Amino acid sequence: MSTDGSLIEELKKLEEEALASVEGVRDEAELEEVRIAFLGRREGRISEILRKLGQVPPEERPPLGAEANRVKSRLEEALDERRSSFARERAPDRFREDLTLPGRERWIGGRHPVTRVVDELIAIFRDLGFSLARGPEAETEWYNFEALNTPLDHPAADEQDTLYLKAGHLLRSHTSPVQVRVMESHRPPIRVLAPGMVYRRDSYDATHTPVFAQLEGLAVDEGITFVDLKATLAEFARRYWGPGTRVRFRPSFFPFTEPSAEVDVKRVFRDAEGREQETDWIEIMGAGMVDPAVLEASGLDAERYTGFAFGMGPGRIGMLKYGVPDLRLFYENDVRFLEQFAGP
Amino acid sequence: MKVSYQWLKSIGPELEAGIAELSERLAALGFPVEEVATLSEGFEGLVVAEVQGVREHPDADRLRLCDVDGGQGVVQVVCGADNVVEGGWYPFAPVGSTLPGGVTIGKVQLRGQESQGMLCSEKELGLGPDGTGLMVLEGRFSAGQPLASALGLEDLRLDVEVTANRPDLLSHEGIAREVAPGGHTALTLPPIPGEDPAASEALERLERHADPEEVSGDGVTIRIEAPDLCPRYVGLVVRGVRVAPSPHWLQTRLRAVGARPINNVVDATNYVLLELGQPLHAFDLQQVGGRSVVVRRARQGERIRTLDGEDRALNRDMLGICDEDRPMAVAGVIGGEESEVTDETSDVLLECALFTPGPIRSTRKALGLSTEASYRYERGVDPELQLRALRRVARIILATAGGEIRGPILDCRPGDFSRKTVSLRPSRVEALLGIPFDHESIRELLEPLGFSLEPQSPEELRVDVPGFRSYDVTREVDLIEEIARTHGYDHFPDVLGAFRPGAVPDHPLFELEDRVRDELVAWGMLEAQTPAFAPEGEGEVELLNPISSEERFLRGRLLPGLVRRLEYNLARGNRSVRLFEIGTVFALEDPGDLPRERTHLAAILHGDRFPPHWENEARGLDIWDLKGVLGRVADVVVGEGASVGPDAEGDSGSPFDPASRLVVRGVNGEAVGEAGRMPAARMDLPPWAGPVWGFELSLPVEPGPRKEIRYRPLPTHPGVDRDLALLLPEDLPVEELRGYIGREAGKYLRETRVFDVYRGKDLPEGHRSVALRLHFRAPGRTLTDLEVDEAVRRIVDVLREELGVGIRGQQDASGGA
Repeated sequence: MSTDGSLIEELKKLEEEALASVEGVRDEAELEEVRIAFLGRREGRISEILRKLGQVPPEERPPLGAEANRVKSRLEEALDERRSSFARERAPDRFREDLTLPGRERWIGGRHPVTRVVDELIAIFRDLGFSLARGPEAETEWYNFEALNTPLDHPAADEQDTLYLKAGHLLRSHTSPVQVRVMESHRPPIRVLAPGMVYRRDSYDATHTPVFAQLEGLAVDEGITFVDLKATLAEFARRYWGPGTRVRFRPSFFPFTEPSAEVDVKRVFRDAEGREQETDWIEIMGAGMVDPAVLEASGLDAERYTGFAFGMGPGRIGMLKYGVPDLRLFYENDVRFLEQFAGP
Repeated sequence: MKVSYQWLKSIGPELEAGIAELSERLAALGFPVEEVATLSEGFEGLVVAEVQGVREHPDADRLRLCDVDGGQGVVQVVCGADNVVEGGWYPFAPVGSTLPGGVTIGKVQLRGQESQGMLCSEKELGLGPDGTGLMVLEGRFSAGQPLASALGLEDLRLDVEVTANRPDLLSHEGIAREVAPGGHTALTLPPIPGEDPAASEALERLERHADPEEVSGDGVTIRIEAPDLCPRYVGLVVRGVRVAPSPHWLQTRLRAVGARPINNVVDATNYVLLELGQPLHAFDLQQVGGRSVVVRRARQGERIRTLDGEDRALNRDMLGICDEDRPMAVAGVIGGEESEVTDETSDVLLECALFTPGPIRSTRKALGLSTEASYRYERGVDPELQLRALRRVARIILATAGGEIRGPILDCRPGDFSRKTVSLRPSRVEALLGIPFDHESIRELLEPLGFSLEPQSPEELRVDVPGFRSYDVTREVDLIEEIARTHGYDHFPDVLGAFRPGAVPDHPLFELEDRVRDELVAWGMLEAQTPAFAPEGEGEVELLNPISSEERFLRGRLLPGLVRRLEYNLARGNRSVRLFEIGTVFALEDPGDLPRERTHLAAILHGDRFPPHWENEARGLDIWDLKGVLGRVADVVVGEGASVGPDAEGDSGSPFDPASRLVVRGVNGEAVGEAGRMPAARMDLPPWAGPVWGFELSLPVEPGPRKEIRYRPLPTHPGVDRDLALLLPEDLPVEELRGYIGREAGKYLRETRVFDVYRGKDLPEGHRSVALRLHFRAPGRTLTDLEVDEAVRRIVDVLREELGVGIRGQQDASGGA
C-alpha cells in the first residue's frame, strides 16, 4: 500500500473522531471549535489532508479526493444538524411574552336566536321528509280565514285579533294560509314547513309581541292518520329535547284541523348528582288532522287524501331553550343580548 | 267560563271526587282549568254582625254611633254610611282583622268617639263597585258567623278555558254534562229553595200557543218579522211580582262566579243563563207599548238607551226587540233602560229566544259591546233549550218574587227544529284515526255525550245530534273528533311508521337567505329582527286598525328600523353595533291587489373595525369595510356579473350621503341595492358616536340556481410582478385606468391590484399617487423580462397619452419601493 492508502485510513479515523467530537459538544461555541479543528481553512485537519492532495501521484488523486470530499460533506452535515438542534433548543428562550395577556380577536357574528331555533327545527323536520315553503305576509281574508274553515262571522275569527290593511286584506295572523297555497299549487305527497312572521293586534308584554315568528308544518298524502301525527311530533320532540322527553297531546280546537290537539312536552334529565329530574309540562304547539273543508277549499279530494298540520312559535321555544324571560328581548336587538347567541 | 264548584256539584253529584281530578278530566277533554280561586281568601277574621242600635254622633253630622254585635260582645263602631239601620246585618271587620285589600283594623277615635271595628261596603270587601253604603246582608245569620260562609264564599271558582266551538259548555249544566262520568243522563238540576210544588206543577202543564209568525195570549202579542235572524221567540207573562233583593242562596250563586246581584227577577234570569246557558230577558210589561213584541230589523238611525246608560244608534243590520213603535232591546246583546225591571215593576214579560249567531256577532262588533248574552248567542244557543229554560226561570221568579202565571206560553217559532242526523262510517274512523273502532266501542264513546246511534248497515251508523251539539257537530269528521277525544289522545300509539317524503321543492329564497346569513356572520355581524311596522313616511301601505300611530304603516325598507336599533344600542352605551336584517318590505300595488312584498337585506355598521386589543391601534369602520362586505354580499345575492360602484346622483329618497353612495347593480345594470354613510343629522345619536355605515339590497323574488364551482388548474410556472406608481389627478377614478391597462397589457396580465394610495405635499397640486401591482403569467412557460417590460411600457405609454397620467416610479416588485 502506498501513501494514499494510509491517507484514506487517516481520513476514516478523522471522520470517526470528528463525528464523535460533534456528538460530544455542549454548546454552539464548542461546536464552532470542532468545525475549526477539522474544517478550518488554515488549520483544519481535514483541510490539511485536502491540501496534501497535490503531493499525491495523479493517478491516486481521484479515489482519495472523492473520499476526502465525502468525509468533508458528511461532517458538514453533522455540524449542520447539531447546529440546528441547538437552535431548536434555544428557540423557547428567545420567545419572551406574557402569555396571560389576551389574544387578538375578531368580531364574532351570529344568527338571531329565533333564526337559530328555526334552523334547528328545520333540520329535524328535514330528516322527517319535509321541505320549505313560503307565502305572503299580507294576505286575503280567504286564505287567512275562510279557506281555513273559519267563517268571518264565527268567533274563532276573533281569537287572533287581526290587523287589517283594507277591505278583505290583512296581515296574516298565522302561517296556516301557506297550507292552502301549497295545496293549491302542488299535488300530494306534500310535506312542507313554512317558517315566517305573523301579525296580531297584541300589545307588547313578556309573552306577546304584535309581530312574531311562527313555523307551520303540513303533511298531506293518502293514508295519513292521527297516529302519524302523534308519532311525527313525538319523534320531533324527542330529537329536539332529548330521548327521554315525554309528550302529551290534549284535545283542543282550531277551525282548520279536526281532531285538534295542543302538544305539551316534559323534559326528563339527570342533574349533577345523577338523579332523574323532570320539568313541568310545557305547551309547545298546536296541531291536528287537516279539516276536510280545508282540503276541499284547496282543491284536494278529502275522501282520498288526509293529512296533519302543526304550528309552533320559535320565539317561545327559544325562551324555553335559552331561559330568556321576556319575548321582547328578541326584538329589542340589544347587541349584548344578540352576542350571547353568536358564534357557530 | 267561570264555574262555581258548589254549583257544579249540585248538578252533577258524581263530581264529588275533588277539584284536582275534575281539573285533570277537563284538561284531558280539551278544556284546561286556567285558575282555581278560593273565594274565601282574604276574608279570614271578617264576620257577620248585627247592628243593635244606631245613635247620632255628638260632634259630627254625617257620622253615627252603632252598637255592633260581632259575636264577641257588643262594641261601639263609628259609621259614616247612610244605610245603616237598627236590626240590620252587615259585614264586620273587628279590631285586629284585615280587609281583603290589606288594611288592618285598629281601635281608633273618630271625632272623640271610640270605634272598635268597621262595618263594610261591597267595595271595601272587594266584592263589587258599590262604595256608597254598607253591604246589606239578606237572610238569617248569627252574630260572629264567618263572613265567607254567610256570603257563600266557601266555594272554589274555576276559570275553565272553553274553545270557540263549544258554546254548550258555557253553563254549569254543560260542563257537568261533559265531565260527569255517567254522561248527560246522570244530571239533575238542584231544587229551588222556597218553591211551591203546586205552582211548579202547574207551570209544567201550562198551555202553549205556537205559531211561525205571530202568537197572542194573556193580553200580549209576539210577532217575528225577521225569521232569518230569529228562529224562535218564547214569551211568558208573570203578574204581580214583588221586586226585591234576591234571597241569600241566589246571591251566593251569582257572587261565586263574579256576577253582581241586582234584584230577584233579573237575578233569576242571570242564574238560568249561568246554569243552563240560555240568555233570558225580563221586560216591565207596563213599558211595552201596545203589549206587543215585534222582532224586526231596526230602522236606520233608530235610537235606544241601553242598560249600560249609553244612547245607541241602530241600523238595518241589527235586530231589535220592539214594542208597537220603538226598540226595547238590542236582540241578543243588551236590554233597554225604559223597559227595565225596577222596584216599581209588578208585571213582567219574560223573553226566552233563539237568535242566528252571525248577525249577533256583527251587531255586537258594531256596538263594541260584548255581554254574557251576546257571547253565547254568537257561538250558538241550544235550539232545544227554550221551553225548559223558560219554565226554570219562571219557577225561580215565583219562588223569590212571588206573582202569578196564567199562561199561555207564547211560542213564536218560524225555525225548523228537527234534529240533525249525521252518518258515520267506522272505516272512515279508522282511516283518520289510525286504529279501528267497532260499532260497540263507538256507541260507548258517543252515547254518554248525548248522541244516539242507529246502525244503518255494517258499514254505516246514523247518529242523532242533540240540540246542544248542533253547532259544532254537523259532519262525519266532527263525530270522529268526539271519538278520538273521549277515547283519550293518550291511548293512541305514537310509533313512527313509513312515510313518503314530500314532493314539493324547497322555495329557493330560503337557501339564498341562508348563504347571506353565513356570509355576514362570517364578517362578524349580528342578525337582528325588527317589527315590520313603521311611522308615516317610512312606508306606503297603511293599516286600518294600527296598534299605535308610530306603527301605522308597513315598512317600505329595512334601514329605518335598523337605525332605531342602532340608536337604542348607542343610547345603552353599546359602541360596536354591526346589525343586519333579512325581512319583508311592502309597497302599494294596484287597488284590489295585495301589497307587493319583497325580501330585503339591510345592515348598519358603527364602531371599531376590530375588537379592542392592547397591541392594536383602535380604528373605526370606514367606507372600505363597507365596500368590502358589500362586494361579497353582491356576489352572493346577484351572483356573477354583480358590480358595486359609486353613484352620487342617486334617487332623492336615498338615506345615504351622496358623496359616499355606492350602488349594487345586477347583471343587466339594474340597481338592486345601495350603500354609504348615513348622515348623522337624520339620526338621534350621542355626541361620541362615530360615522354610521349602512346598506340595503333587494333579494331576488325567485333566485336562480347557485353558481357551480369548477376547478381551474393551478399555474405550473411562476409569474412576474411589476409595480407602477402613478400620479393621478384627484378627479380621475382608478376604475378608468383598468380598461386601458387591460387592453394594452396583452393576454398575460392576470391581476391588477392597488396596493398604496398616497397624498402629500411633494406631489403636484390636485394629484395623488396610486401604486399598482401588475401580475403577469403565461401558461406552461416562464415569461421573459423582455416580454413583461414591453407590456409595462405599452401601459405606461397609453396612460400618459390618453389620460395624462404621469409615472412616479416603476419597479420590479421584488426590488421594493
